[in-house]
Amino acid sequence: MRDSPTGRELKIARINIYHLYPEHLNLNGDRGNILALCERARWHGLAVNLVPVQPGETIDFGACDLLFMGGGGDAEQNMAAAELKKRRRDMQQAIEAGMVILATGGSYQLFGHYYTTLRGERMPGLELMDLYTEAGGKRLTGNIVVSCGLWDPPRTLVGFENHAGRTCLGKGVQPLGRVLHGHGNNGSDKTEGAVYRHAIGSYMHGPLLPKNPWLTDYLLAKALAYRGQTFTFKELDQSFEEQAHQTAVRLAGSRLHRWHARRA
Amino acid sequence: MGKNRSGEMPTTGKSQKLKIISSVWLGKAMMALTRLLGRGGTTLPGRAALRLYPGLLPYLAGHLRHGSLLVTGTNGKTTTAALLTGILRKAGYRCIYNQSGSNMAWGVTSSLIGASSWGGKLPGDLAVMEVDEGAFPALVKSLHPRGMVLTNIFSDQLDRYGEIDAIQKAIGKGLEAAGEGSFQVINADDPSLAGIEGGSRGERWYFGLELELAPERSENEAGHSQPCPRCRQKLHYDQRFLAHLGRYRCPACGFKRPAPDVKLVGCSTRRGATALELLVRGEPLRTLFPLIGTYNLYNALAAATAAAAMGVPAAEIKTGLESAAPSFGRMERLALKGRSVLMALVKNAAGANAVLPTVQEQQPEIHLLAAINDKIADGTDVSWLWDVDFERLAAVAERIKGLTVTGLRVWDLAVRLKYAGLAQETIRVETNFKQAFLDALERTPPGATLFVMPNYTAMLALRRLLNDMGARQPYWEGA
Ligand SMILES: [Zn+2]
Repeated sequence: MRDSPTGRELKIARINIYHLYPEHLNLNGDRGNILALCERARWHGLAVNLVPVQPGETIDFGACDLLFMGGGGDAEQNMAAAELKKRRRDMQQAIEAGMVILATGGSYQLFGHYYTTLRGERMPGLELMDLYTEAGGKRLTGNIVVSCGLWDPPRTLVGFENHAGRTCLGKGVQPLGRVLHGHGNNGSDKTEGAVYRHAIGSYMHGPLLPKNPWLTDYLLAKALAYRGQTFTFKELDQSFEEQAHQTAVRLAGSRLHRWHARRA
Repeated sequence: MGKNRSGEMPTTGKSQKLKIISSVWLGKAMMALTRLLGRGGTTLPGRAALRLYPGLLPYLAGHLRHGSLLVTGTNGKTTTAALLTGILRKAGYRCIYNQSGSNMAWGVTSSLIGASSWGGKLPGDLAVMEVDEGAFPALVKSLHPRGMVLTNIFSDQLDRYGEIDAIQKAIGKGLEAAGEGSFQVINADDPSLAGIEGGSRGERWYFGLELELAPERSENEAGHSQPCPRCRQKLHYDQRFLAHLGRYRCPACGFKRPAPDVKLVGCSTRRGATALELLVRGEPLRTLFPLIGTYNLYNALAAATAAAAMGVPAAEIKTGLESAAPSFGRMERLALKGRSVLMALVKNAAGANAVLPTVQEQQPEIHLLAAINDKIADGTDVSWLWDVDFERLAAVAERIKGLTVTGLRVWDLAVRLKYAGLAQETIRVETNFKQAFLDALERTPPGATLFVMPNYTAMLALRRLLNDMGARQPYWEGA
């Protein structure tokens, strides 16, 4: 894929997907999101250049079209915070310019102003999104379904959430979705995730993208648009994905299942 | 050794004695009751008995002439404990073993009560107990074990942050609580275990692989790495055997894999068995072992090393391993309708990744049924499917002649297999559990093997189905 670009290859639409710290930020099968992006791009006939970024390596924000960050344990999350703090300004510029980001779990929290631990320690965030997070007592866990306004009419997104943090959104961001079943950002205001420009943060794993193929395509389309590439998406057979999506909706909706989840 | 092993052992005055006996009776009565109700309750009796007399555990264990051996770690405890019990029994120990699979403190108590006489005496001289990592420190304190066997730490229940750290801390606490003269058996190939400090009082026995084994390389290796336990930098692997198990070193702080006392220096698979070549502190040991799969190599090594630490001679370890049977629920071979059914429980990504190489090895054709539920006992989050190297199946797709999936989360599984690179039309989705099994069996030619990978509650359902259908269990010892 890194062959010297010939005249013909230049016409192929291609995107550069950067996967941040794949070995460190990989809780809850997060790599499923990368698989979804790469496989669907391939099925659509898009060329993908996947760049795994290791701690210490420089991220080329000039080349990155779509950046994915999964969730990690506390130590890994702190490492990511320290690394990215050095590149905060570049990252912000890229976001303003329209670079696409998907950040899940702990990485989503990292994008906000700060995170306060249960002991009251205040960990500064990257301040890339207008939100903050405070640790709560009980973990918010279970299947989650939200209604997402990235489309008109809105479409559902499904996932699984498992977080102790309560995230509150400021005026500068939009929620990714309205909670139909589950807890969402904080368990009280019915919002889930956040969107600013083309940067999306979410507590939903499951992983998120395989079971919500329209979100995968949305991210790919925005990444192409960011580089001014025109591309016609194919109609893909996504019957498996839709069945998995519907199963998740049914499970979240079933009272018995929610009762079980509460007792877990 | 003997009774004075247990520092907390109570002086048995008259009222004490009464309490002991009554708590044992209570436990036994409750066990009979739960059995009568047809429920395999293994924690309730122990819980009730401990409430009546909290000192029951040290009391019961105090009567074991050779003390107890605790086996802990995230994967392979059951098989390791079963193998170790088999070896020790061959070597002449009257060995008690908590076979029920309930490895929390209450479950351990239940199994000891179940084994004891009505007067509170255990009919053995040694207990092998599989214990949960979380319950490990408390059980070390109350049981004063003679030996502790640490199998591995796989990060499989990924829904808890910092879980590996927590398990390491629990195991470290347990090791520190162990008494003078105890021994520890540790997997040298697992950096998360070898890096645990503490418990320096006991003698350490390391085990590990020294093979030029076809390494279990896969694209998902990244997901298996764990940072250096000393300085949290990235470990360098000279060789990987299974997930994060291998020959590793830390370029930053110099931490490295300790040299094993018991090592596997040769192995080859033939007809569902594995020929092993071990060096037990330099002494060679060759044996034919009836289990397959890399993870079972570790289980065999752990058991052999623990037996060696108990002073069992190499020749007796050999016969013990040879007579070992697959332990309950892990990998069973059954005969049904002229087909062979090979069932391997997969509870999580680590377990599934350990089993998949064995699926890949099936010759000449692969017939596979996978069943994934998301009930409470399974964990309601099925995200771990994305940490499983199903890409291994895509690599042998031309040999896969039957691939059926079922279970409450069948569509999640189907999507995962599709993204692993298997053609959508080759994946048979059958939401009806029984129908899925019957179809998969039907499609397996007579004489061939159907490989079945269920998670926990799916396995229970399958076991019932197999039982109803009259499957024979040629390998099992007891039940
Ligand atoms: Zn180190």
